[in-house]
Amino acid sequence: MPPVIEVMDASYVYPDGTQALRAVSLCVETGEAVALVGANGAGKSTLLLHMNGTLFATQGEVRVAGVAVSRPTLNHARRTVGMVFQDPDDQLFMPTVEEDVAFGPRHAGLVPDEVERRTHEALARVGMVHLRARPPYRLSAGEKRAVAIATVLAMAPDVLVMDEPSSNLDPRGRRRLIEQLRSFEHARVIATHDLELVVEVCSRVIVLDGGRVVAQGPVRELLNDEARMLAHGLERPHILRHLHPH
Amino acid sequence: MAFRMAVERWLDVARMDGLARQDTPVHRIDARAQAVTTLLFIGVVMSFARDELSALTPFFIYPVAVMSAGRIPAASLLRKLAVAMPFAVAVGLLNPVFDTRPALAVGALNVSSGWLSFLSIVMRCLLTVSAALLLVACTGMPRLCEGLVRLGVPRVFAVQLLFLYRYLFLLADEGRRMTHGIALRSPGARGVRFRVYVSLVGHLLLRAMARAERIYHAMQARGFDGNMRPQFASPMRLADPLFVGGWALFFAVARVWNLAEALGVLLMKGVG
Amino acid sequence: MHMADALVSPVVGGTMWLAACGLIGHSVRRIEASAKDHLVPLMGVLGAFVFTAQMINFTIPGTGSSGHLGGGLLLAALLGPHAALLVIASVLTVQALFFADGGLLALGCNIVNLGFFPACVAYPWVYRVIARGRYGPMRGSVAALAASVLGLQLGALSVVVQTQASGIAELPFGPFAALMLPIHLAIGVVEGCVTAAVVAFVARARPEVLPAADAGPARSLRPVVAALLIAAVLTGGLLSGWASSHPDGLEWAIARVSGAEEAPAAPGTWHARLSAAQERTAVMPDYAFRQAPRDARTDGSDGASAEPATAKPADSSALPLGTSVAGVVGGAVTLLVISCLGFVFGKRPRAV
Ligand SMILES: Nc1ncnc2c1ncn2[C@@H]1O[C@H](COP(=O)(O)OP(=O)(O)O)[C@@H](O)[C@H]1O
Ligand SMILES: [Mg+2]
Repeated sequence: MPPVIEVMDASYVYPDGTQALRAVSLCVETGEAVALVGANGAGKSTLLLHMNGTLFATQGEVRVAGVAVSRPTLNHARRTVGMVFQDPDDQLFMPTVEEDVAFGPRHAGLVPDEVERRTHEALARVGMVHLRARPPYRLSAGEKRAVAIATVLAMAPDVLVMDEPSSNLDPRGRRRLIEQLRSFEHARVIATHDLELVVEVCSRVIVLDGGRVVAQGPVRELLNDEARMLAHGLERPHILRHLHPH
Repeated sequence: MAFRMAVERWLDVARMDGLARQDTPVHRIDARAQAVTTLLFIGVVMSFARDELSALTPFFIYPVAVMSAGRIPAASLLRKLAVAMPFAVAVGLLNPVFDTRPALAVGALNVSSGWLSFLSIVMRCLLTVSAALLLVACTGMPRLCEGLVRLGVPRVFAVQLLFLYRYLFLLADEGRRMTHGIALRSPGARGVRFRVYVSLVGHLLLRAMARAERIYHAMQARGFDGNMRPQFASPMRLADPLFVGGWALFFAVARVWNLAEALGVLLMKGVG
Repeated sequence: MHMADALVSPVVGGTMWLAACGLIGHSVRRIEASAKDHLVPLMGVLGAFVFTAQMINFTIPGTGSSGHLGGGLLLAALLGPHAALLVIASVLTVQALFFADGGLLALGCNIVNLGFFPACVAYPWVYRVIARGRYGPMRGSVAALAASVLGLQLGALSVVVQTQASGIAELPFGPFAALMLPIHLAIGVVEGCVTAAVVAFVARARPEVLPAADAGPARSLRPVVAALLIAAVLTGGLLSGWASSHPDGLEWAIARVSGAEEAPAAPGTWHARLSAAQERTAVMPDYAFRQAPRDARTDGSDGASAEPATAKPADSSALPLGTSVAGVVGGAVTLLVISCLGFVFGKRPRAV
């Protein structure tokens, strides 16, 4: 079976000339959780946007479940990869929570009963069924994040791609998010600055700096390398200090 | 000062949004039924002769009934009416100036037809404006828009109207935060300097456009192909046609017969 | 300036609603045909932006007053005329529903006055013609100034015409126009300056979102047409203001001086025609006649305005005094009863 996501020598230049990615290569296997870390402006968001064909690599190629992402195969990529955007307010654009979660299944052409079933299931999965009639702008940050995840789960993707999912959350919301992320059976790609989340959820880390992959490997090994982390604008997570005192 | 007033306005939208999410007998009426009734009401009220007064009074039953049953506080309606009336009142006030024909003699008091038509304008304004405000306070924008689509309004129009409503809260908040700092640093000013204003509005605009792009990406990521699919439909209940029919009947009766005058005749007979 | 419900007759309001529906339908078809999916969220968010921008004021130097963005022309410059029309219509709808600006019956009028004229007339025929895709200080300012002044003048004139045609307010055409047009000239200048400055700002930061400069030779006809249009509107507005303010004002003054208090205030002939049409469509014309025998519509024929001060029906005596008093008493009691009911049954909103 091919890896669910395979990025091969992808480079990307924004229309204004900013080179955001430089020959990035990486690979995500079925069911594994991979963290994408790096300072602000390192290119994390840009890379994620390539995984469902929102952006197309200027050079190189991105494959989703073995199929190269291009305009003709866009539907395949978008069905396979569920994208949770950084700002839930961008993702929750419909008037009510329920309508928002139903948006994806509905546009996939499912019959109304199936749409309803998926909507309910996805909301139940993140524990937000009781909010289904609420307008999204009346939710707390944590609730918004949970609903944003539900909108993606309702489309039954194989991969969840998330951009800084724990930003703006209070400790309780963050804790709930971490538990949820651990419980998912999907392959997960999580761009984040929250290294403790990485330690708890992910098995592998990819470090991005200046649009390049500068390191990748198992979480504990890589994040414990203090000199390397500092060099790329990151720090060694406290939780690891606690677990592995020198 | 100017800032605070503007923010008040926006908070008003939030307040109305809250009122619209109550659960009362009126709120349970289908949005289509409420929209049709409101339009009927406004049409009938406006169809009266220019200086009609007494025959309009029974029509106050409609807003008052909807307001009571829908638990809409009168104060919030009256506040908005006070803001909305001045233009109509100012223009209407010229009627007594230009039209001084005597129209009505109550004892020794002669009322000119200009005053009658002025009062009539004020009364219509009260009626139609409160009906419109009550419509949205008892349905809310999302339900109203979906109802309008079912009544034939183009979906593209309704959808972007909903987007406007959805992001109004967010952008107004952004705008408020951006102006707040400036307002703090220029106490007493009624507005900001032009240069500052342009860069403020310009940045707000750029952020709005960037947000629209991100929203579009999020829509595409979930399969948006240019066509919005219909939303969950709430079925019509028996109460909905009854609501429209009942009010339509009342409007028709009150349009044809001057109920207030009949009451007056009755009362005066009783007294005399 | 928003047209208000209470000043619009059902015929005028309905006609403008039809016009607005036609405009919206046409714009929707054009947008759907253009297959620009990204327009839908962009339109909504820019609508919210205009709303927000309208809440921010700036001081107008040297006047002590403050102004804000109207946004019609700016929207057209960013979105094109069709999408802009829809956005303006949405903004007006929200204003009518939430702030009672204008009203539902007048919504059609407002969409035409504040949407059609800036977005579908001033933008394509003036702004685009002058700017031709270049938004520098000179060209951009001239284009925006000319277009917004024209758009607002047309809108203001349209308010006057609609008020007049409705015949509910007793305002003579001339003075009303003479009041509205200069005010909107000032508003137009301010709006033009803001629009030009904001467009220049966007052109510096994100040039790709604005229509690019026209390649090739300029179409020579359009500027001429535009100039003619402006000239026609300005002179037309001024002339008609001057022409009609004099006879009306004179008549009115003469009537006052000669003590003929009952001189009706110059029923406009179109109003007469329109109200005649309304008469035919009214639910119970007889009834209306009985209630309002002195209304302008009794001398509804076109010739009537020639001799306004003559032939008055025997005014209040035509109406049995008892009936009118009964109306006053009945109306007062009705209002009293209804407000008591409202007071008794009115409840606090229940939080959800
Ligand atoms: N829409 C855009 N246009 C031009 N440059 C952009 C755009 N979005 C991001 N960039 C630039 O691309 C680089 C990578 O940005 P991004 O992927 O957002 O980084 P991260 O998510 O890691 O913070 C940055 O230098 C950023 O300024
Ligand atoms: Mg990012």
